[in-house]
Amino acid sequence: MTGARIFFVGGLMSYRALFGWLSPWIFIPTFLVAPIFQILLFVYIGRSAGVESDKFYVIGNALQYCAIPCIFAMSNTIAGERYQKTLGYILATPAGRLPLFLGRSLPVIGNGVFASAFALSAGGAIVGIHVPASSIASIALVIVVTSASCTSLGLVSAALGLRVRETATLNNIVFGLLLVFCGVNVPLSELPGWMSFIAQGFPLTHGIEAARRLANGQSFGSVGGLIGAEALIGAAYALLGYQLLRLLEWQGRRLATLETA
Amino acid sequence: MTPVPRAVVEVRDLRRTYRTSTGVFRRRSVEIEAVRGVSFEIGEGELFGLLGPNGAGKTTTIKMLITLLIPTSGTARVLGLDVVKDSREVRKRIGYVFGGERGLYERLSALDNLRYFAELYAVPPREQKPRIEALLELVGLKGREKERVEGYSRGMRQRLHIARGILHDPPVVFLDEPTIGVDPVGARELRATIASLAEAGKTVLLTTHYMFEADSLCDRIAVINKGEIVAEGTPRDLKSIVADKTVVEIETFGIAEETIEKLRNAPGVASISIEERDQAQVLLVQSAKGLELTQTLLAMLEGTTVGRVAAREPTLEDAYVALVDTAA
Repeated sequence: MTGARIFFVGGLMSYRALFGWLSPWIFIPTFLVAPIFQILLFVYIGRSAGVESDKFYVIGNALQYCAIPCIFAMSNTIAGERYQKTLGYILATPAGRLPLFLGRSLPVIGNGVFASAFALSAGGAIVGIHVPASSIASIALVIVVTSASCTSLGLVSAALGLRVRETATLNNIVFGLLLVFCGVNVPLSELPGWMSFIAQGFPLTHGIEAARRLANGQSFGSVGGLIGAEALIGAAYALLGYQLLRLLEWQGRRLATLETA
Repeated sequence: MTPVPRAVVEVRDLRRTYRTSTGVFRRRSVEIEAVRGVSFEIGEGELFGLLGPNGAGKTTTIKMLITLLIPTSGTARVLGLDVVKDSREVRKRIGYVFGGERGLYERLSALDNLRYFAELYAVPPREQKPRIEALLELVGLKGREKERVEGYSRGMRQRLHIARGILHDPPVVFLDEPTIGVDPVGARELRATIASLAEAGKTVLLTTHYMFEADSLCDRIAVINKGEIVAEGTPRDLKSIVADKTVVEIETFGIAEETIEKLRNAPGVASISIEERDQAQVLLVQSAKGLELTQTLLAMLEGTTVGRVAAREPTLEDAYVALVDTAA
């Protein structure tokens, strides 16, 4: 019961505590307007180059944009504590680390889902793409799974925040890597072999592919493997992030770097 | 070491070394011994003071006791539990308060700060509301609890820190300079709160720079300097160290370093400390009881503007100064 309360109630409260600065003045331009610009940019580049369809760019960029809230916000769940000097206080509580930190991922995933879903709906409406009504629920599920797997990658970055301060810089690089490697704007088949190979280990890659196929009218059953792969990759990053948290917390106590690194 | 009833906190030969690096291209590693073999015990229900100058090792000692730092060597036990091996169990049984304004969620209200930590300390949901209300009453924040912490004064933040530290009703509480920077009225209220913790039977370790605070609150005191305990006992025991001394307070304005050095070396002077009070520097000169030094000192201060001069009995602060000076 205690673990469940820390996971759900604590997760939500910590989100309010760490992201109280996220007013509509920041939220709307960052999570709702910016992805539309990104979508329009790549749609028009694609049209002028005559390579892929509008749908390809709208789905790729809308899903990729969930990486902004998911990676940056999850990472900030540790970096923000350090900034407010509350990290020592929460780490000296007896709260289990699994519910304490994983609980923080729920609102983050919700944020990512909202950003991606809005970008897909608004971006799609602006450029005029058609998605079969029968695919909408399945695409929504893909967005949830993709947001969760990106949040898991954010947990790895959050854990690194116990050792280094510069996680925001790291997150910018990760965001760029996802943009280039995961088939967001260039099909994996057109990327060099080593890049598409690496992309198989990143979140987003399988989710974007699944969403594109669903939007093109394929059945949910035919993309089950892609969704499963996206979920599995997310679970692997979540496990890695949790183990890193434990290791780096211990190391921080040993090296006295919890508050100073 | 003074024997104590049923030790709740047991510290044995505790050491903590930090390694820091300097330089960008030619990095040089420097090892700093913050705590050098500290041992002490705190009995059940005791209010124990740990006094020492900045950088003496007080906070490092507390951080080891609250499981935030792993000792380089030595052992520390709280309620019989090892702070390294049984860290999670220790955390359930302790509360701690660090002085200063940071360490609270600025965008949350005091109520939400307490609610969040109530979850982390596994306070049962049914008990949370009445306990938080009682604590808000105790620390004098009732009526302001729904305001965001970012609008709180330093004193209010400190009181909120205390409420958070005892939210889960821990039997052992660590208070690291809880009154630092708080105005006199606020500090007095905080001292009353600290005293009430001891009256409620809690075991308290308090660090402070304010000697009168330690004198009025603590059952026993340890003085720590440069990572080592240089004295331990009741406030009366420590005061007895300077019982054979007398103190002359001389208010000066713009005294030169060389003059202070000359006074320090004057025959009969045991120690000198300086307190800055607005524009004045107040010299606290300790000498053997019965030795009349005032005229000699004033003669040596010729050319320096001198204000009020008074002789008095030594206080705990004088004992502290003598101990720290001796160890320097």
